[in-house]
Amino acid sequence: MYEFLSQNSLYVVLLIALIGWLGIVFYLFRLNKKIDKLEKMFKE
Amino acid sequence: MTLKLFLGIWLSLVIIAGISFPITENPTNWYDLPFVPGLEDKARIIFFHVPMAWVATLAFGISLIYGIKYLSKENLDYDIKSVSSAGLGLIFAILATVTGSLWAKFSWGSFWNWDPRQTSIFVLLLIYGAYFALRSAIEGDEKRATLSAVYAIIAGVTAPFFIFIMPRLVEGLHPNEAFVSQGKISMNPTMLVIFLCSLSGFTALYFWMLNTKVRLERLELKHHLKGD
Repeated sequence: MYEFLSQNSLYVVLLIALIGWLGIVFYLFRLNKKIDKLEKMFKE
Repeated sequence: MTLKLFLGIWLSLVIIAGISFPITENPTNWYDLPFVPGLEDKARIIFFHVPMAWVATLAFGISLIYGIKYLSKENLDYDIKSVSSAGLGLIFAILATVTGSLWAKFSWGSFWNWDPRQTSIFVLLLIYGAYFALRSAIEGDEKRATLSAVYAIIAGVTAPFFIFIMPRLVEGLHPNEAFVSQGKISMNPTMLVIFLCSLSGFTALYFWMLNTKVRLERLELKHHLKGD
């Protein structure tokens, strides 16, 4: 893997873009979880 | 909804252009990106990593502004905006750190090199990590908001020193000279356009995320106050 990435640095940048989006998706999932919790609370 | 869709398409196009536009030694076509000796394809990181670091800086600055506003007006809505912005700043700072250290592994040989910018972001992560530790340790909305606002102001004032001044005082490994010469941006026009599109797209994404987070926190506060 390391060998492949060091010889094909375009994939390093692809991985970087992917990490960025995974971080944002993780944040949005957390927000979604909070909204679910709030919705449940307002129903009670 | 239309704006959000437009933002999604905008950032997708930035990613497609940033990844797929060819790098050539003598750019002649409008879509050619320049060959940067020593960086090659790795130069493309500028389209993703730098906007993440920029958004973190912007978010910490906005957290500082709402901290000041809270102290002058004592309105809990400003506290919500300040903490939400600091949270987003922390997330983008973590993303900039992770993506930067991955890039460093393939450019400088190891994930962490204590380069001035790496050191700066490490200190900033500690400062804003402590901000959230402080908030979670204080009971009472007003007291928490006041102390957090004071801390956000102190943290926000020190942030520019770590982001802009410290890395310029000490020689580092960051390849600034490939994109900046004599304090001015010197970039191939195609690269500059993609970079600016990315910067504006990430900025818009930040404001959308901030808006969503603030709306959620307002609802939580409303529910919390109802419970009291």
